[in-house]
Amino acid sequence: MKKMADADNRWARNRQFIQDYGWSYIFIALPILIFLTFTLYPLLRALVMSFQTYHVMGSEWVGFKNYAYVFHRELFSKALINTLLYTLGTVPINIIISLGLALAIFQLGKKSQTFFKASFYLPAVASGVTISLVWLFIYDPMPEGLMNQFIHLFGFANVNWLGKVDTALLSLMFLTFLGGHGSGLILYLASLGGIPKTIYEAADIDAASTWSKFRNITWPLLKPTTLYMLVINVIGSFQVFMSAYLMTSGGPDHATTTIAYLIYQDAFEYFEFGVAAAESFILALIIVAISVLQFKYMGSDVEY
Amino acid sequence: MKGEIKDLKGASFYIKRGLIYMVLILWSLFTFLPLYWMLVSSFIDPNSSASLQFTLVPKEFTLASYSYFFTFNKNVLRWLFNSLLISGVVTLANVFFASMAGYAFSKLRFPGRNAFFWTLMSSIMIPGQVTLIPLYILVVNVFNMSDTYFAIILPGVVSVYNIFLMKQYMTSIPSTLIDAARIDACSEFGIFRKVIFPMAKPGVAVMAIFTFVGQWNDFFWPFLVTKTSTMRTIQVGLSSFKFADSTQFGPMMAGAVIASIPMFILFFALQKYFLQGITIGAIKG
Amino acid sequence: MAKIIFDHVTKEFVDDKKGRVKAVDDSCFTVEDQEFMVFVGPSGCGKTTSLRMIAGLERQTSGNIYIGDRVVNNLHPKERDIAMVFQDYALYPHMTIYENLAFGLKNLKTPKLEIEAKVKRASEILGLGDLLERRPRELSGGQRQRVALGRAIVRNPKVFLFDEPLSNLDAKLRVQMRVEIAELHKALGTTIVYVTHDQVEAMTLGQRIVVMNRGVIQQIATPDNLYNKPANMFVAGFIGAPAMNFLNCRIEQKHFVIDQDTVFGISQEYQKLCKPLIGREIVLGIRPEDIYDPHLAPNLKNPGTLHAAVKVVEKLGAENLFYFDRAGVTVTARISAQSRVMAGEHVELLMDLDKVHLFDKESGMAIR
Ligand SMILES: Nc1ncnc2c1ncn2[C@@H]1O[C@H](COP(=O)(O)OP(=O)(O)OP(=O)(O)O)[C@@H](O)[C@H]1O
Ligand SMILES: [Mg+2]
Repeated sequence: MKKMADADNRWARNRQFIQDYGWSYIFIALPILIFLTFTLYPLLRALVMSFQTYHVMGSEWVGFKNYAYVFHRELFSKALINTLLYTLGTVPINIIISLGLALAIFQLGKKSQTFFKASFYLPAVASGVTISLVWLFIYDPMPEGLMNQFIHLFGFANVNWLGKVDTALLSLMFLTFLGGHGSGLILYLASLGGIPKTIYEAADIDAASTWSKFRNITWPLLKPTTLYMLVINVIGSFQVFMSAYLMTSGGPDHATTTIAYLIYQDAFEYFEFGVAAAESFILALIIVAISVLQFKYMGSDVEY
Repeated sequence: MKGEIKDLKGASFYIKRGLIYMVLILWSLFTFLPLYWMLVSSFIDPNSSASLQFTLVPKEFTLASYSYFFTFNKNVLRWLFNSLLISGVVTLANVFFASMAGYAFSKLRFPGRNAFFWTLMSSIMIPGQVTLIPLYILVVNVFNMSDTYFAIILPGVVSVYNIFLMKQYMTSIPSTLIDAARIDACSEFGIFRKVIFPMAKPGVAVMAIFTFVGQWNDFFWPFLVTKTSTMRTIQVGLSSFKFADSTQFGPMMAGAVIASIPMFILFFALQKYFLQGITIGAIKG
Repeated sequence: MAKIIFDHVTKEFVDDKKGRVKAVDDSCFTVEDQEFMVFVGPSGCGKTTSLRMIAGLERQTSGNIYIGDRVVNNLHPKERDIAMVFQDYALYPHMTIYENLAFGLKNLKTPKLEIEAKVKRASEILGLGDLLERRPRELSGGQRQRVALGRAIVRNPKVFLFDEPLSNLDAKLRVQMRVEIAELHKALGTTIVYVTHDQVEAMTLGQRIVVMNRGVIQQIATPDNLYNKPANMFVAGFIGAPAMNFLNCRIEQKHFVIDQDTVFGISQEYQKLCKPLIGREIVLGIRPEDIYDPHLAPNLKNPGTLHAAVKVVEKLGAENLFYFDRAGVTVTARISAQSRVMAGEHVELLMDLDKVHLFDKESGMAIR
């Protein structure tokens, strides 16, 4: 008798649970399933792979050999340095450009704001392939190349922009300065709009200079946005692949081989899945470490 | 006296304004230049010597480059169709599944909600390169889906980022509406379909647009999992053109124009959503 | 028919920060069929939670809830034959007023013609006739409130639940809607449970009132009894504005002794009550409106004299509020506006000794 009552109770409780929460779990079921198959499983698999030498039929366990190889590999250090240079050379400048543009646009009327927002955002709608091809064209090494024509105006000699070790990486960096500020600009504008006017009025009463107002009010209050942009852009720039693949194929002499491109090559050109997996984990660790550092350094007085 | 001071202030104000406008217009022209150049060069005859001369106003206007691009590979139209189909399906799936999950995470209380949510969110932090290889093996070797629409679509059916977007957006919908709907004898799915979803439409529209553009512009994954020419997307097809013949810049630019024009049209038509959308996604609170 | 019974109902929330919170603690009461019952209490006392448990929007941690003759513990809101009006109205912004009113009926698969008839009738009752094609954002606060009421009415439920329905309206509209709700109750003859933290609303609308504090029911009584016979110091202090004055007091043979110059004789009525308490410290409560200016006082059977150094006089129009210190507490007196007493004066005020309330010092319970 008691057993049956217990079973009844359990059944009632289960029914109650399904009634209360069933739909919640149905709503999130597909994302969870997708996560398990297309993120978690590959992640674990990649971890295993990074300790193996991959063969289609049964991989071979090699311990830390892949990691040891990567650490001693000159090309990897070179790719790391290239990626770092690329990041240092693009992210801060692009953030400053976005901020500068936002500060300028913010002073204008509503209609002008919308107009400039739209025009600066437009290039972001073009695909990476498109942008890469257009710039490939602009950087054409012949004297007829657009960039070369441009520097001829100032009397400079022809440059093989993408073909020379000195200029290849710089050229890839330069193209990010023209375009792609749309979303940063809009984020900054939104945060600028969120700063109460009364703060500036108080500063005006204290006769603060424009610079002092920027330094002491605007900049600190924009810090969360800056931090967000920094983290997002650094992560993005550490994964830069498209321009290296489509414009230079990592060359010349690996001058534009970024980590992401190296991983691609190892995996899909040389089918060294184990090495590529090890490299990808190192990349992931670097990205996480940098993000954490940024939050620690910049985020200490940022309220979220 | 008073009037004079006012006038002086006005003058410096207008000078400043004028300077700001000048800088902004110059800079935006600067950023437009590559795209403008793309458009101009696409109208030049691929075989003429003028094809590389820089001119602000196009010297000639022919559609020769376009016809060259379309004849270079008979599948160009098919690529456009593929891109449209794939982007459309991915967008629809995200509209449906991401908004459902966003609703559950923002408005429903259930055991494990936070744990599930943060588990999903953690995948934003994982760089794509890490999961790429096993994902490739899984889709191509295990599921045997190489060269199918499924292979391209499946991993993008619901993006964690979109779930986050929808959660942020739906948090602002008052919870009492859900209570009211429950009292009004609405089923749980009915609440989502008849109350939450219609109210979240502006947010959903933003998400849909960004998903569509993102998928249309995506290159790497479709490039990895497609082998035959007929299964390529327009981006992959366009990139293959580069390797086919890198001296034919005119047709290449024509292709670039064709690949980006739909997005530009979308942008101009739905500008409002684009410009709003970015701020919804920024992590706040 | 539609009685509501709470049988030892407890609701615990697990809060991220505070841990377990008992929002409703072992609550027992019965709302009779067709009764207008009001829940009142300070913010966070569990009024809304109790109401939501009746509605089925929240599941109790333990105990049973009955509506009519059924245990409704496991029933969906839609199976409970209830309707609810929310504080923020909770109108669906993307639907017209007509669709808002019809939504519930549609979900119940009511035939279209019947829906039309019911919506029409409800909108006539509430004077919403020409607003049906508008959307909620095009209505004023009062009109939205009416739509929210209408949405409940069309369902023709056995029980109406109201959660602070008037608190978003301005003072004038609030009074008007209060009257309308009272009339509605008479007209419809349904059971109503009404949550408010406004005691005027509670006293004017409620046939009976449940006073809650920190999840615990303090007293269930008619408005009169709540005012005249509060069960404990919390109820005594919560009902009535300004709040009742509480003075520490020792009971002697024939006197309440508050301090050296504040000693009152114990009147006939209280003597039996006080006999066992002689020598004990208790709390004596007196309402501000039971203190008088001697020149204006009615004929009191048992007046007690209260020496007051008036600190502040607040003029409210019909009456003045006096504040003065006595035995370490600030006492409030509500005196007719004709009084000439000014701030800073030393005066003698009269207290109606038949109206004092006695409370146990430790438990705060009324001594009766
Ligand atoms: N979903 C919840 N999760 C955690 N705690 C809750 C939840 N809902 C209510 N509480 C807590 O339960 C207690 C009672 O809340 P309730 O909303 O019933 O109060 P209330 O009497 O309606 O107050 P108010 O007059 O402010 O509306 C409060 O302490 C509240 O913090
Ligand atoms: Mg409440």
